Amino acid sequence: MDKSRRKFLSTAAAATATATMMATTGHTSDRLGHNPDEMFSVLVDSTACIGCRKCEYACNKTHELADHPPAYFEDQTQLQLGRRPQHDAFTVVNAYEDKGAKEGEAYVKVQCMHCNDPACVSACLVGALTKESHGPVMYDTWKCMGCRYCLVACPFQIPAYEYHDVLTPRVRKCTFCTERLHEGKKPACVEICPNEALVFGTRKEMLDIAYGRISANPQRYQDHVYGEYEIGGTSWLYLARADFQTAGLPLLDNQSPAEITENIQHGLFKSFLPPLALYGLLGLIMHTSGQREKSEESTDA
Amino acid sequence: MKTILLGLLTLMFIVGSMSNVNSHEHPLRHLDCSECHTCDRPTAKEPCLIACPRIAAAHSTSKHSLKEAPDSMVLNTLENLYGPVAFNHKQHAEMSEMGFDCATCHHYSPAGEIPSCNECHPAEGISVNLSQPNLKGAYHRQCLGCHREWNHETKCIVCHEPERFTGAEDVVQDPTDILGISHPVITVPTKKVYDTPYDKGPKVTFYHNEHVDLFDLKCVDCHQEENCGYCHHLGKTTPVVKTMEEVHSICNDCHLEDKCSKCHGYEEKPPFTHDVSGWHLSKYHTDLECRNCHPTGKRISTMNGDCTNCHAGWNQSNFRHSVVGLQLDETHLEFECEDCHADLHYHQTPTCDNCHDDDHNYKKEPPGERL
Ligand code: SF4
Ligand code: SF4
Ligand code: SF4
Repeated sequence: MDKSRRKFLSTAAAATATATMMATTGHTSDRLGHNPDEMFSVLVDSTACIGCRKCEYACNKTHELADHPPAYFEDQTQLQLGRRPQHDAFTVVNAYEDKGAKEGEAYVKVQCMHCNDPACVSACLVGALTKESHGPVMYDTWKCMGCRYCLVACPFQIPAYEYHDVLTPRVRKCTFCTERLHEGKKPACVEICPNEALVFGTRKEMLDIAYGRISANPQRYQDHVYGEYEIGGTSWLYLARADFQTAGLPLLDNQSPAEITENIQHGLFKSFLPPLALYGLLGLIMHTSGQREKSEESTDA
Repeated sequence: MKTILLGLLTLMFIVGSMSNVNSHEHPLRHLDCSECHTCDRPTAKEPCLIACPRIAAAHSTSKHSLKEAPDSMVLNTLENLYGPVAFNHKQHAEMSEMGFDCATCHHYSPAGEIPSCNECHPAEGISVNLSQPNLKGAYHRQCLGCHREWNHETKCIVCHEPERFTGAEDVVQDPTDILGISHPVITVPTKKVYDTPYDKGPKVTFYHNEHVDLFDLKCVDCHQEENCGYCHHLGKTTPVVKTMEEVHSICNDCHLEDKCSKCHGYEEKPPFTHDVSGWHLSKYHTDLECRNCHPTGKRISTMNGDCTNCHAGWNQSNFRHSVVGLQLDETHLEFECEDCHADLHYHQTPTCDNCHDDDHNYKKEPPGERL
């Protein structure tokens, strides 16, 4: 381990510590009580991605996913298939049309966005998915009851289910390499990316870098950082030259679906109160008038 | 009530799923125990595992279930996946001459010694600026920028030595890859004759050798942005055709003030001789570079034929007249230059009128001995 590496690790460790501290001391800003600025984040600069699929390879090896020979990850035709993350591939790289690029196409890495206010977390009835204060959205096999609501809820269609496994199926998705993060390392995909199309740091740093790149090369980028506000913000952020929807990133509202559904639920419960109160009041009136009648009857007698 | 029911159901689900997970803790139970254990009843405390290497167990890895794998684990051997790159600098430098010169790679290099890449691109940290990535990104962006252009490939072993025991050797090196094969010598043409649609002079004769050897142009002066991808663009079946505007703009760098007929004609044009300027180069001047006499700018500057263009300091006392092939006799040696060379126009026939009468013939009676 060289000196600069050690320095990075200590910085990363310090960042984790700060993130935890911020979350516990109440310097928070979002609905879940986390501070998105201090969360870990990855900036995916799709204009710098060369579609080498090394990130897929690193993810596969780190998490011991599908058993592919190394040559599989060199097969560039896979880029054209519009693949989606699978139970045995947490991330995939896809080509999309980009007229501004020399090649006429650009590449986009797809994985869990680690939303700030995740729909999957909100949809999970048993709390098997949680948003950690330092960024990752984590899944707990032990809590999962296999309802697959998260698969339906995720606006990016990320979680995948081990349908082939009848007895012990799990929901699988990118873990943000959380164990590497705890060791002060970058996610495996970021570390291997030869072209530095992936940059890792805190969300605030990533947004600063993203806007720095946009203003330095306005013709190279859409003037928008995808994930800054989409569905309440995500930990993974994207830059692109072509339209984000061309790149396969859905057009989304700024409000988190989790927030919307929860508001409706809470609203519903709230609106149960007036009828309840009314019934209570009526009941009380009936009760007291009944009492009065009874006493009147008894006096009459 | 509903809540209680839901809670109960959930609890049942959770318990159910937990027991499921427990049930696959040892998924290899269908294997023969003796493949891994020496004793009949291995326990967690005393597994009595066969000492390494468990040769029999080696083939059983394929029977492992993916679910056994931890969600995350550390794999920091990625850095060692590939070996170093043997970089043929010379070959690249030669090719770069046709592109942007050395600056293709050594961008932002100040005059003097070229700084090494890591002076600006640190090995670690967060690269804030797209144009200033870390060392790994810098190398790869620099190389892949062109390499992808000509072979549309991002295979690592095109440049990297595959490290042993990593499985990278599975990836077969493409035999059609040009790496490691020296580029065939690019033949430099002497002359090219182009047929153009210009009806007042359809033929353009271009002497490539003159432009390189005589006029001192560098490849990159005309061949701008013509690097590897120019010829090696995969799937390219026809050579790149430049538009008329592009073709003319290259020549116009120097020939903007020339008439069309400078290059265009009905016939092929002869190569350049200095005689076209009306000044035949002889003896002392033939070995000179154009720039020695025409020093200004890219374009060859025009000059009159007077020796004083370059030899301003010459006069009667310091000029050895014999070098022009005429040894002046004693009488004529005494004269000032302009006595015979009117207005110091040496390229014109000298005049004898100043001393001799009109019909004196310079050729028949030279003012000295011809050498
Ligand atoms: S991208 Fe989908 S799976 Fe990932 S955190 Fe957001 S909602 Fe959950
Ligand atoms: S962060 Fe880790 S789990 Fe997620 S895509 Fe990258 S390597 Fe895979
Ligand atoms: S490793 Fe980097 S450059 Fe290669 S495909 Fe993945 S994101 Fe793109």
